[in-house]
Amino acid sequence: MAVSPLVKHPTDALQQVTARAVSSPLKNANSAQASSNGTPLSVSVVPNASAAMQSASLDIAERMNEDEKRKYVRGKKLGEGTYANVYLGHLRHDPSQLVAIKKIKVQKEYTEGMAPDAVREIKHLQELSHPNIITLHSIFSSKDQNLNLVLEYLPLGDLEMLIRDTDRVRYGAADIKAWTGMLTRAVWFCHENFVLHRDIKPNNCLIAADGEVKLADFGLARSFADPYKPMTTNVITRWYRPPELLFGAKHYSGAVDVWSVGLVLAEMVTRAAYLPGNSEIDQINLICQGIGTPTEENWAGVTKLPEYTVPKEVTPLHGKNYYISRFGVIGHEGVDLLMKTLILDPKKRITARDMLKHEWWHKDPKPTLKKNLPKKSGGEEKLGDDLKRRPGVVEEDRGNKVARKLDFGAAR
Amino acid sequence: MATEDARYRQSSQFRLWSFAPSHLASLRSESNMLAKTAISARLQSSNPPVCPIPDFLTPAEEASLLTYYTNELLRAAEFCELPTEIRATSAIFLRRFYVTNSIMTYPPTELLKTCLFFGSKADGFYIRLNKFAEKFPNTTGEEVIAAEYILCQGIRFAFDVRHPFRALEGAIMELRRLESFENDRIDRAHGNARNILKYSPLVTDAYFHYTPSQIMFAALSLADEDLAERLIKNAFSGAPWEVEKKVVEVVQSCREMLQCEPPEKMNDQEVRKAMKPLIKKLKKCRDPDRVDLVALQKARKEQAGQKPKKPKSGLQDDEAVFGGALVDEREAKRRKMAEAANDPFGPALG
Ligand SMILES: Nc1ncnc2c1ncn2[C@@H]1O[C@H](COP(=O)(O)OP(=O)(O)OP(=O)(O)O)[C@@H](O)[C@H]1O
Repeated sequence: MAVSPLVKHPTDALQQVTARAVSSPLKNANSAQASSNGTPLSVSVVPNASAAMQSASLDIAERMNEDEKRKYVRGKKLGEGTYANVYLGHLRHDPSQLVAIKKIKVQKEYTEGMAPDAVREIKHLQELSHPNIITLHSIFSSKDQNLNLVLEYLPLGDLEMLIRDTDRVRYGAADIKAWTGMLTRAVWFCHENFVLHRDIKPNNCLIAADGEVKLADFGLARSFADPYKPMTTNVITRWYRPPELLFGAKHYSGAVDVWSVGLVLAEMVTRAAYLPGNSEIDQINLICQGIGTPTEENWAGVTKLPEYTVPKEVTPLHGKNYYISRFGVIGHEGVDLLMKTLILDPKKRITARDMLKHEWWHKDPKPTLKKNLPKKSGGEEKLGDDLKRRPGVVEEDRGNKVARKLDFGAAR
Repeated sequence: MATEDARYRQSSQFRLWSFAPSHLASLRSESNMLAKTAISARLQSSNPPVCPIPDFLTPAEEASLLTYYTNELLRAAEFCELPTEIRATSAIFLRRFYVTNSIMTYPPTELLKTCLFFGSKADGFYIRLNKFAEKFPNTTGEEVIAAEYILCQGIRFAFDVRHPFRALEGAIMELRRLESFENDRIDRAHGNARNILKYSPLVTDAYFHYTPSQIMFAALSLADEDLAERLIKNAFSGAPWEVEKKVVEVVQSCREMLQCEPPEKMNDQEVRKAMKPLIKKLKKCRDPDRVDLVALQKARKEQAGQKPKKPKSGLQDDEAVFGGALVDEREAKRRKMAEAANDPFGPALG
């Protein structure tokens, strides 16, 4: 509860501008002239929307938008997502300061104003400030009323690229621990602020120039404090979707994100998605095979969920040895944590907060320092030497591949 | 508690939408002045020029009208049976919007519908646009969203509003835990405080000047002073007395603000009748080009459509960013103005 009424408003930071007089707005006043409509009318003036456009430069809001826009220069296209194009950009006054400019596409299917994805992303990123969550620097609109989100530039790809590039990117338990730790802190912070991400997967975990993992893409996020209306179950990319959503639970919690984190961890270890279902039914089957069949015994109430269906043949929950044989490289504690994130019953599943308290983080090997984490192949020209080092080339102090394998053995 | 405060300081409500009263007043008078200048220039330049130029609203009159239209918004929200938090969010959007825009520039009767629709969207409560528009007389969906973009820009893309409702629930739980007051009394205070929170802070400037918990304490104190005092004492039992005194003062000043607009006023016909002359005055002095927001929106889209060919110069890079920024005289003028005015809100997000 927010009991402390101590917070003062940031008056000092803002005060110096208050005294500023209106900067002679008359300068622009004539601009309406050219467009005045010729129809003479004694009392009322004929409305002219384009006249309004011209005097728009007088609005404080417009002016601030212009200022915001002018701070950045846009460069080449970096990529394209479902609802946005992403461009490289930099600060006008300091071209060394790079940003990513995410320009929201105009959606043809959604005709009810600003796209909900964009609204959600902006709403939550405005409030969340954390080293493991992508920073939203600014927002401005272009003339065509497209939204532009100025985001922190994250040049080193995402976890998916690292996981998939098995030929050139090598990593080990200490690296997995570092990445998982950063992702877990991001998720913990979201949950502390009553935000569910609802789309955690390796390619939404972007990587900063210094190796920091940054959770991005808040287009599906929502606050979980809103008590009204059932929640949609159609969230989270299928492979990372927890059983409660697949069974149609209308109320869910941070546990949905934790499940996804668990599957990202599993995927980092084996370098293949652990439960890559090709349909919702298939996803449920894979969960039953890979973890165990959800039943009243392991999850009280599950059979009452609206879309509860499981294969006839019940698979008992797999024991620790099953996971050790697959994920043993992260050690006993690592496997313990993994198993707790993949508990079927969301009420029993570990929370992000408790994940951070898990002993795995303190066991050897220690998480790799950010600067020593493996990088994606084909680094950016502009980056420093250590970032240019050919990914996958195992350096001296990192030991060679074989040695690392042995290390994993020792870590058990 | 400390983390609660730290978290609030990160919120957009604190970073972008909290002001000292003098700062808020100066922003509003600037918006008022800009509107007067723009509208009178527009009227003079029409053919034939409008003569005499009508009387414009003063900032004080705009403030009264804003209270009135926020009230109208809350009544409409009640009619639409929107959840409490969404009503509150929409009301705050409207009040924020009219900090940097004059009521004479954008029609509040239109904007309040946009606020209700967008407020619902921002809170994840999706209503079909046409279903929503049907609830209002002579209103199309197109009209409801015509100003959505202008609204979002006006509220500086801060879509998350921190309300005092949850703090009240916490306070009531705490009071029950203390076991020093009758449950009936607590229930009564709870109900009354909640009613106050659903109205008074929303039609005043409370959200601009006070934190959610300060507003909650002020409302609780209006509902039952002893209960509020007891809670404040409890919360600051370990702190130096100056701290507690400071808090009591802040809560007191917030209380005075809320007291001016008690919830009974919401459906007070007299209050509404008294606004008639001002509404009439507004009709005479508003921006003639922005009465029809749908047409304005169309004009914007059209202008965006006819992107001028860009010279292949060094500027290209810059220009490409904003697809269609017109580099012309107007632009140059605006740039000058923008420079002169700086950002009245201070630094950017982040
Ligand atoms: N902050 C950033 N810094 C650098 N590159 C980025 C940044 N954000 C996005 N990108 C690049 O732009 C591409 C598109 O990103 P975007 O978030 O719009 O979509 P996505 O996550 O790839 O796909 P979808 O929208 O379908 O989830 C990404 O694949 C990435 O290559």
